[in-house]
Amino acid sequence: MDTDTLPLRPGLTGEDFRAHVRAWLAANVPEGFLADQPGYRTPDFAACRQWEAAMHRGGLAGMTWPVEYGGHGLSLREHLIANQEIGRLALPESVNSLGKELAGPIIMAVGNEEQKLRFLRPLLEMREIWCQGFSEPNAGSDLAGLRTRATWDGSVWRVTGQKIWTSGAMNAQRCLLLARTGPLEDRHRGLALFAMKMDTPGVTIRPLRQLDGKESFAEVFIDDVEIAAEDALGAPDEGWSAAVRVLSIERATNRMYRSWRFENELNHLVRACRADATLASLINSGEWHRRLAETVVDIEVLKAHVEPVVERLVAGESIGDRGSLMKLHWSEAHQRFAALALELVEQAPPGASAAVQAARQRFQNVYLRARAETIYAGTTEIQLGIIGDRILKLPRGR
Amino acid sequence: MSDSADDLAGLSAFAETARHAVAACVPLSMRDRAALLAADGLLGILAPEEAGGLALDIRFAAPVMAAAGAGLLGYPLAESLLLAAAFGNHPEGTAIAAGERIATIAWSGQVSTQSGRLSGTLGRAPLAGEADLLLVDTTDGAALIALDAPGVAVLPAFGFDLEAPEHEVTLKDVTPLATLTADATARLRDDALLLWASAIEGAADACLAMTVEHVSTREQFGKTLVSFQALRHALARQKLAVEHIRAALARHDALAARGASEAALAHRVTFAAAVRFGAASVESALQLHGGMGFTWDVPIHRYLRRVRAVEAQGNAAALHRGLALDLLHANS
Repeated sequence: MDTDTLPLRPGLTGEDFRAHVRAWLAANVPEGFLADQPGYRTPDFAACRQWEAAMHRGGLAGMTWPVEYGGHGLSLREHLIANQEIGRLALPESVNSLGKELAGPIIMAVGNEEQKLRFLRPLLEMREIWCQGFSEPNAGSDLAGLRTRATWDGSVWRVTGQKIWTSGAMNAQRCLLLARTGPLEDRHRGLALFAMKMDTPGVTIRPLRQLDGKESFAEVFIDDVEIAAEDALGAPDEGWSAAVRVLSIERATNRMYRSWRFENELNHLVRACRADATLASLINSGEWHRRLAETVVDIEVLKAHVEPVVERLVAGESIGDRGSLMKLHWSEAHQRFAALALELVEQAPPGASAAVQAARQRFQNVYLRARAETIYAGTTEIQLGIIGDRILKLPRGR
Repeated sequence: MSDSADDLAGLSAFAETARHAVAACVPLSMRDRAALLAADGLLGILAPEEAGGLALDIRFAAPVMAAAGAGLLGYPLAESLLLAAAFGNHPEGTAIAAGERIATIAWSGQVSTQSGRLSGTLGRAPLAGEADLLLVDTTDGAALIALDAPGVAVLPAFGFDLEAPEHEVTLKDVTPLATLTADATARLRDDALLLWASAIEGAADACLAMTVEHVSTREQFGKTLVSFQALRHALARQKLAVEHIRAALARHDALAARGASEAALAHRVTFAAAVRFGAASVESALQLHGGMGFTWDVPIHRYLRRVRAVEAQGNAAALHRGLALDLLHANS
């Protein structure tokens, strides 16, 4: 896919940048890639990897990252614009989202110059895929209980422990690993971040089968694995605090395309229903109008949370923990929509058209995967805790 | 963007003035409330300068409506703001902005017109029993009538809102004082959606504050209620609801400011979001007050009544049907 056309011309911003993104997508989206179009085939990992590398060359990934690290040196405004246009199309999810949304921003915040040069460009060019090694069997939402231990032996870090629910571990070259360098009583202090190579001896990956039948997350066993000093990110005792700082912004800025993809799904649902006589008569009846209208409202409210974040960050203002409001809303609203979509498309009669069957397949997947959305990136309960503690500033109680 | 700094200062000054005025209105008669609100410049925010107004855009009415919602103002404020603007070139508009005439709107029903005279039954007219003027829907727009004109009968109040009870009004061969075109009427109804959303935001936020206070002081099982996670999470959801309404209002303003076509959708979305999330939030506030929440003295029910009354005045049910039908048409 190195034959992609329309490279990003330097200096494009605002609506000119939008025009470029639209033209680039129109010229470069591969055949069969869009889940709401006829002829859709689920793209495999290799195809997704090639596609994302092409998107980066076209200026549709790494918008805000500095040019010297492989980014495009644009502002968050262009980040939002690219996300809006990507969201409007039913494109596959990133296979390197943890690299782009988590590892990259953390390296940018705490990494040294050598690390930035070594890690960031390969990640955007999809030569290095990252996974995230935070959760453990006994430390899911509560990472303070994390037990994977890193010990400095005078020449290298030696790490032993176990990670779980590690998305994309099988395809990853690097893992953003959180490990304990101090005693367990230190809780969040004494946690360090590493860029662990996944092919290091001692790393064993055991895929876990997800509820949708896919094996896209895994257990990762780490048995006396050596990590070179140059792959430690930030000071040993500031790993966690740096990660938390980065995450509170990332929660608000990553996958900004969600509201527009959500809208794409809603429009696809309605089109698919209207293409079938049985579903069309259902969807035209008043019984479904309220939930459809509430989905429209949910999507617009999500946009209302997402768009102002950009201007506030561009103006140098803090967005505090507003990312938790957004995360809670999109995950729950998307689950409501997914249930509605499934309920509707599953009323298709036997022998429904290929387009309706394709919609059934898409919305079955959307429904199942949406169950994860209130769990990952901080569960609903964690987000409610953050909103109560840090936004509403509720007293602790006595 | 020095404009926006001025705007912010202006908005917060309005909010402050409105909070004081709303509190000061509580013991006053309807006439005295009109005089006080007018003296503070709150009735003519949207009215043209010729009519004694401030000729500001609808954003500036938002903090005033929020204060009215938070303080359960018993005055047809949204109606006054809208009518003083819509009849800005008419003496009645000037009188409304000056607080000399109290005006309200019949939000449901439509009259028929015969030889220029209006007849029919209207509903959902807040405080019509104490008002001088009423806007009624006609087949080609709307008409302003005097409530003491021959042929007008204001029926006894009923309805949810205790501070702004609704009346039905019957008209028989009533001659209007002034009329609005269909376009002007549609604009007025669109603007009402935003004013109501702000009022609901103020009401939901006030209930949230009362609930935080309640759970922080009341003890059960030897602990303050706020130490129970179930209640903290419910409060977090109330906060989320308030933030949804604020975000929707702010997005409408941003879209309108740049003349974006989505602003029209944003009017309706903002009201729909305010009704859904606002009602849920106030209901949660009532729940968190426990048995006290069901008493007459704890005022949460008054807020719930207001939110539900406004929901009906804006005909949220029809608005949702319209949103669904637009979605279906866009994908046909």
